[in-house]
Amino acid sequence: MPLESAAQLLPAVVDLPFREGYVSSIISVSLYVSVIAVTLSTLFSLPVAVLMGFSEFPGKQLVKSIINTGMGFPSVVVGLLVLFAVSNQGPLGALDLIFTKQAMIMSQFVLATPPITAISLAAITGVSDNVRDAAHVLGGTRLDVALVVIKEARYGIATAILAGFGRAISEVGSVLIVGGNITSADGISKTRTLTTAIQLEARQGQYGTAMVLGGVLLTLVLTINAVVVRLGDEGAMNR
Amino acid sequence: MIRLANVSHAYADDSVVEDLSLSVAPGEVVGIIGPSGVGKTTVLRLLALFLRPNEGTVEFDGKAVWSVDESDRLALRRRIGMVFQEASLFDATVARNVEYGLRVRQPWSERLRDLLGSGLGSNGTPEAVEEALDVVGMSHKVDQEAHSLSGGEAQRVSFARALAYDPAYLLLDEPTSDLDPRNTGLIEEAIREARDRDIGVVVATHDMHQAERIADRVGVLLGGGFTEVGSTETIFERPTDERTRKFISGELVY
Repeated sequence: MPLESAAQLLPAVVDLPFREGYVSSIISVSLYVSVIAVTLSTLFSLPVAVLMGFSEFPGKQLVKSIINTGMGFPSVVVGLLVLFAVSNQGPLGALDLIFTKQAMIMSQFVLATPPITAISLAAITGVSDNVRDAAHVLGGTRLDVALVVIKEARYGIATAILAGFGRAISEVGSVLIVGGNITSADGISKTRTLTTAIQLEARQGQYGTAMVLGGVLLTLVLTINAVVVRLGDEGAMNR
Repeated sequence: MIRLANVSHAYADDSVVEDLSLSVAPGEVVGIIGPSGVGKTTVLRLLALFLRPNEGTVEFDGKAVWSVDESDRLALRRRIGMVFQEASLFDATVARNVEYGLRVRQPWSERLRDLLGSGLGSNGTPEAVEEALDVVGMSHKVDQEAHSLSGGEAQRVSFARALAYDPAYLLLDEPTSDLDPRNTGLIEEAIREARDRDIGVVVATHDMHQAERIADRVGVLLGGGFTEVGSTETIFERPTDERTRKFISGELVY
C-alpha cells in the first residue's frame, strides 16, 4: 500500500508545474535571507554572550530572562513589528524596505538572535573557571582569556548557530508579512522563500508540489547540519 | 623579589588570610605548609598578581603592583608562572597547551602567522616546548590530546606549560598531589634545577616532608596567617612558635 501511494505521487514529482528557474530562485532567496540574518545575529550575539559570560552587573538575570523569553517570540508578532518599523509611517519608512529581502533579513535577525545568544551564553558559562584562570596566569590578556573560552565552547557555539539557522530558514509567518511572498512577472522569486512557497502551494491544494518543496527544504537543512557536524568532527581530530 | 606586606584577603564575608607577610627572592625555594583549606592557594594567587588583596601591598622588585597601570602589571605578571592543583589543560594537544604562554607573548602578526601555519600543518614544535616537556618526562606525548592524559600526566604537562616561557618566579600549588613517587622525584628535581637557574619558587603543599626536602625557607600557615616563617632547618628542628611546633609534630590536628 505505501508503495502504491508513492507511485501515485511520482507523476507529480516528475511533472512539476514550475517555470524554469523558479525552484532555484526560491532556494536562493531562502539561503540569502537566512545566511545573512544568521551571520549578522552571530556577529551580534557572540560578543554579547562573551560580555555577559565574563561580567557581573545589576540586572544580569533580568537580561538573561529577556533573552530566554526571546526564544519563544511568536514569529508573526515579530513580522508585524518589523512591518510597522519599515512601513511608510514607521521609523524606517524612508528606507523603502517594505516587501524586500532586507526587511525579511531584519525579521529573521530578530528571531535568530535570542537562541544564538542564549545557547552561546550557556556554552561560555559552562567552560570551567579553572581554564579561564589558567589562561590568565599564563600571561593572557582579557582578550586572550576570552579567545580561549570561545575555543573551549566552540561546539556549543556551533550548536547555537545551527539552532538560529534552523529557526530562520524554517520560519514562515514573519517573512510572509514583511516579504509579501512576491515573484516577478516571469515567475522568478523576489521575496518568496521555500517556506512561503510551501504555504502557498498547500493553500491552493497543490499538495504534491508542496511536499516536493518540503523535501527540498529538509534536504537543505540536513545538508547544512551534516556539513557543520562533519567540520566539527574533523576539527576535533585535527586540533 | 615578590613581597606580600601585611596582606589580608577575604572572599565575600569569609576572611581567608589576614595580615600576612612573605617574600620570595630569585634562586630560592619557599615552602608554604598548612592543612587543607587554610588559604595556601590564596597566598599563591596573591603572589601571582591574580588577586588584588583587600588590604596590604604586593611588591614586585620594589614596585607596588596594584598601583601601576594595567599594561605594566601585565608585564610583571608575565614574569611569573603558576601551576594550579587542578591541571586545567586546554582542549588541545599537549604541544598547543605548553606553547600557550609563549604564544600570548608574541605580537599579533606572529600569532596570526602561526595560526595559519597550524591550519596548514606546517608549524614545528618550538624548542622551549620540547625542553619543558623533556624536564617532566612527557616529550613522547607532545602530539597527544590533553583530554586523553591521566591525572598525573596532565599535572606534569601543566608544570611544563609554566616552565616553557622561562618565568622569573614559579608558583606551584600542590604540584605532586596526583603523582607516584618516581614522578614526584622528577618534579622535585625540576624544582631544584629551576632554583639553580635563579628562578624563585614557591611551593604550597600539605606534604611537610616534601617541603623539608626541597625548600630553603618555610612558612607555616595556620588560622589565616603565618605562625612562623624561617629557614627549613629552623622550622623543622627549632620552631619558636608553639602552634608551629605542635603542627610540625602532628599534635595540632585540623
